[in-house]
Amino acid sequence: MTRPDARAKVGGSTLFGMDLDRPGMLWGALVPSPVGHGRLLALDLEAARRVPGVVAVIGPKEVGELLPAGRGDPARPAFPTGELLYRGQPIAAVAARSRSAAREAASRVRAELEPLPVLADLDAVFPDWPGAEAASTAPVNAHVRARWGEVDSEFARAEHVRRDEFRTSGVLQVPLEPHACLAEVAGGKWRVTSSTQTPFGVREDTAEILGLPQESVVVEGSWVGGGFGAKGAALLEPYALLLAAASGAPVRLALSYREEFALTRSTLPARFWIESAVRGGRLVARKVRLILDTGASLPGRDFATGYAIGFLLGPYRLDAFDVEGYAVRTNKPPFGPHRAPFVPQCVFATDGHTDSLARELRVDPIEFRERNVWHEGDRTPLGQSVGPFAAGALLALARALAARWRRELPEGTGIGVGLGYWSTNSGAGGEARLRLSARELTIVEGEREIGSGSVVRGLSAVAERVLGVPPEAVRVEYADTAVGPYDSGVFGSRTLGALGQAVEEAAREIARELRSRLTSTDPVRLFRRGELLIARSGAREAPVEELLTPEERRGGGLLASGRHYGKGGSIDEGRVVSGEFYPYTDFTAAVHLAAVQVDRETGQLTVIRYAAYHDAGTVVDAPTFIAQVEGGVVMGLGTALTEESLWGPDGRLENPSLLDYRLPTIGEVPPIEVHPVEGFPGAGPFGAKGIGEPPIVPVAAAVANALADATGVRIHDLPLTPERVARALMLS
Amino acid sequence: MSASRELRLTVNGISRVIAEVPDDERLLDTLRWRLGLKGTKEGCRTGGCGACTVLVDGRSVLSCLTLSREVEEQAVTTVEGLAEDPVGSQVQAAFVREAGLQCGYCTPGFVMALTGLLREDPRRSAEELLEELHGNLCRCTGYVAISRAVRSLTEER
Repeated sequence: MTRPDARAKVGGSTLFGMDLDRPGMLWGALVPSPVGHGRLLALDLEAARRVPGVVAVIGPKEVGELLPAGRGDPARPAFPTGELLYRGQPIAAVAARSRSAAREAASRVRAELEPLPVLADLDAVFPDWPGAEAASTAPVNAHVRARWGEVDSEFARAEHVRRDEFRTSGVLQVPLEPHACLAEVAGGKWRVTSSTQTPFGVREDTAEILGLPQESVVVEGSWVGGGFGAKGAALLEPYALLLAAASGAPVRLALSYREEFALTRSTLPARFWIESAVRGGRLVARKVRLILDTGASLPGRDFATGYAIGFLLGPYRLDAFDVEGYAVRTNKPPFGPHRAPFVPQCVFATDGHTDSLARELRVDPIEFRERNVWHEGDRTPLGQSVGPFAAGALLALARALAARWRRELPEGTGIGVGLGYWSTNSGAGGEARLRLSARELTIVEGEREIGSGSVVRGLSAVAERVLGVPPEAVRVEYADTAVGPYDSGVFGSRTLGALGQAVEEAAREIARELRSRLTSTDPVRLFRRGELLIARSGAREAPVEELLTPEERRGGGLLASGRHYGKGGSIDEGRVVSGEFYPYTDFTAAVHLAAVQVDRETGQLTVIRYAAYHDAGTVVDAPTFIAQVEGGVVMGLGTALTEESLWGPDGRLENPSLLDYRLPTIGEVPPIEVHPVEGFPGAGPFGAKGIGEPPIVPVAAAVANALADATGVRIHDLPLTPERVARALMLS
Repeated sequence: MSASRELRLTVNGISRVIAEVPDDERLLDTLRWRLGLKGTKEGCRTGGCGACTVLVDGRSVLSCLTLSREVEEQAVTTVEGLAEDPVGSQVQAAFVREAGLQCGYCTPGFVMALTGLLREDPRRSAEELLEELHGNLCRCTGYVAISRAVRSLTEER
């Protein structure tokens, strides 16, 4: 099956956000805050306005004049009026007739500032785990804590205790296409076409930021040149709309790569402390501490801490635990989602700790995990019931492969396992509309395909399974937020698992209707005869054309819709001491195996073989599934080996380019085996589980564990750069 | 401000005369914004990602680091003209067949770079081709399916 979007993409006719164009379009540019922290005293826009070709220059004052209500949400102003929170924070914006005029004008905006002390380093506030006093005076956005069981006595009775401290760096999403959008304001409609993962999320954010009724904002998705979480909330859209309103012309606003690196909300540095107690070969208790840099996130808008911290306990049966985390507000761009936000880092820490624990106990690391891992029916530490969960099965398969690798691979090769899990985010729900005409089945979506294939193949495959319709006869049609069915967006591995349920429901409604029109009770299959679709049920068959009513034939086809409302899990609130914890749903396990070789002189680590076992539920489209795993693994290798956002003490990103922030390249990819394991169904259609994020989750852990296997040295920092590895080996 | 002059070049076999092109304009911008050829993708604009690769007289170049003035009177091929090229159409077919793409943003750059390499020396091995492609970045596929497309091209011979 050819990917339906492949021909257009190889031919260059697919238009992305960066490619949007309109007659009379202006070019927008943002004016960045030149300081990491400061107070804005005055803004002088006059020199910028005098640049030839400039049409509009706007700052906070102009925003107030442009908005119908006079201002947007005071908690989330488009431009700050007082405190500047991070370097690069937009403080004004310009629109001009050319890109160069816009850039030139942006550079001429003068800001009078009072510099304030910059906080960019977690160690500056919390050199060690904070005592109560430090915690009460530090800039903490969120404090979460949960506890259960007799922690102290379990540790006191333990036969073995191990404690590790880890540090991880920030990583950036770096979609190949930078953020880009095109805005038009006319007739009371604020319309923006954007390269976004979440058209409806952007509508909600934009309406909130600009203080507009949601009905006045219309968002249309363009094709998206990669998102990975970066394009999951409004970023440029409010500015582009304000510029369009100020200039009376369509405005294109796109980030340069330098801006993409420096402004994107991404994963930021963190420190972890993990301590485990073992008795009788069992993990009995665990204590976890987390300090997470959440950048200039607004208080109360930290999503990461309470959600990440559960992952730090690992998918293990525990009799007691105590977890506590602080989200620290720093002068960096706000923390934001990066494919399985911050979970690869959590798993690097917790699984590395678990691996070291097993090695210390002289137990095979895979066996140790098998003894302690969750099975269906177990309770998570936060009290949730574990549904069908393949971790045990995956570990057994990985154990067999590891044994084979030990025999086959050259001496000196290290083999490491990484065990992680993911919880499919069901989002706020979604709706799907299907339309069956004489020749095709159309899926109407408010979403766009972002590259993963979850829309063009995943949703389509669901309809194919229900109706038997050939893939060539299924088409996806994208609608804007004014007319399209609502969906909360392509993120959280939820498209297939959650929105797929809406497609399944709609497809079943079509099947029911066709059965009734064929006066049959047998399952319906649609197939093609020439150009026409034929419906067959048992012994009866008829062209769809003849089964449609005259109204349906004129109106485009038989319509059906399905809905899926996000069902959050529930946690045992009795275990929560403070803060909010994320109610995970629909667990999926991932077990990866990495084989590495290490050059002890240079510290260069080479991954020579890789295998990924995944708890697939049901695979609805195998090529798409495998491609997601391959891509996720390699992105994870970047996190493990080279990727690191380096922040200076002044809050400046010091490596905002592809030359200094190293992504994996084509020559660095090991052979990757992908093994979907079915039979542990999830909540998605036909028992499917999402696969967008799980493949990145255990990668850094597997590689670090393989390094420990090869050298006997545990490295507690990510990424595993040659410098870091060489130093650790030298000191060992 | 740099001077603006007429620019003559051939793009996808068609002679073009473009008025008032500044001397410092990049080929990437001329193609995208004056000729509307948006298949050539704008990525980093600093030569680091390869998304903007085009062919100039059959050789692959990064259009973000090439001034339009430098290719005056030369023949530029963009992804929109690739189907006419026997090597280019084979490369495109291989990427479709092996699904060597996801979001598709890096795809035009990959197919152009690979076409340039194969036109330069059709006997290059898959390993040599992959080595030469290290300047083209992809964030979605992990390069696995792209490498498969490259191998399938050399196995066809």
